[in-house]
Amino acid sequence: MRWIIKNKKAHVQLLSAFPKNRKGAELLQKYVIFIVLNLIFMSVLLFFISSKINGVSVLEESYSKNIALLIDASTPIMEMKLNMGDAFDLVEKNKISRDEIVKIENNSVIVKLSATSGYTYNFFNDVDVTAYADIYPSKNYLIKINGYK
Amino acid sequence: MATNKMFKNNFIQNKKTRDFACSTKQKKEKFSLHPTPRNRSGAEEIMSMYWLAILFIAAGGIVGMVLIFYGNPYDVRDIEASLLVDKIADCVSYGGKINDLIISDGKTGEFSFSNCHLNFSPEEDEYFYKVSIYQLEDLENYFFETRGGNLNLEASYSINEYSENLPVGTEKSFYSLDNAGNQYIIKILGIIRKTKQNV
Repeated sequence: MRWIIKNKKAHVQLLSAFPKNRKGAELLQKYVIFIVLNLIFMSVLLFFISSKINGVSVLEESYSKNIALLIDASTPIMEMKLNMGDAFDLVEKNKISRDEIVKIENNSVIVKLSATSGYTYNFFNDVDVTAYADIYPSKNYLIKINGYK
Repeated sequence: MATNKMFKNNFIQNKKTRDFACSTKQKKEKFSLHPTPRNRSGAEEIMSMYWLAILFIAAGGIVGMVLIFYGNPYDVRDIEASLLVDKIADCVSYGGKINDLIISDGKTGEFSFSNCHLNFSPEEDEYFYKVSIYQLEDLENYFFETRGGNLNLEASYSINEYSENLPVGTEKSFYSLDNAGNQYIIKILGIIRKTKQNV
């Protein structure tokens, strides 16, 4: 710093590096603030859309209806594998066990991806069903039709 | 140009008009000589506000569309009704032969649809089915007919009219034979309401 102040040439060069024009600097500042605000606005919008698309409630509903329709279309001694990768990812974040995602009770499929939510959809096929998560690295859920009730 | 100058001169000369329009001296000058703003940064501020307004309107539109699309549940009643009809069809006739318990040697028997492994138990009011069997010679009067589930749904359902709030149904018909070789047309109608979960 002292070297710059002592060295006249360097001092002049340093001063000329910054804009002398105050109006221009203000204008630049305004543009920067405007662009930053726009970026913040856009990122909030994108976050909102992505949270809606990959939201817990949407996934719970789609998985629940999917499984109920699969059971309705099935006959005994069928075993179905359903890829539930998105659900497993969400469940890891929400700290819920993989085996607790799908429950089948009294002709109802209950899908739960967070501690506070859950979606139930009923099926009409009178079958005995068991559903359980596949062994760890696999992201499938197994739905087994044991027989008619 | 000439008319513009004349307008300006008239405006300045007309003291009454000038005094009426402006209260301060500064305003008078601005208003009389430069009706459009000279100040560029001011205009830019107006533009940025205008841009922000457009941004908010566009974002509002996107948010609205996303909310409408993902706020509505998936309507799977059409598929469900089709599955119900298929399930009943498998029970009534399998491999082109009518179930012996329904029709045997051209005579109707005692048949309960509880044998079809259907269980509407938690939502019994949400389902309806009708099975009509017609002899090939007489397609106007049914030979055998049975209904199950919520009988009121049949009245509120119309094949030609689709509305989200009305129950959704599917009707399928196919040809089958009994054990004596008599020919029949089987019509099966399945209706699902479940409006709360699908609409």
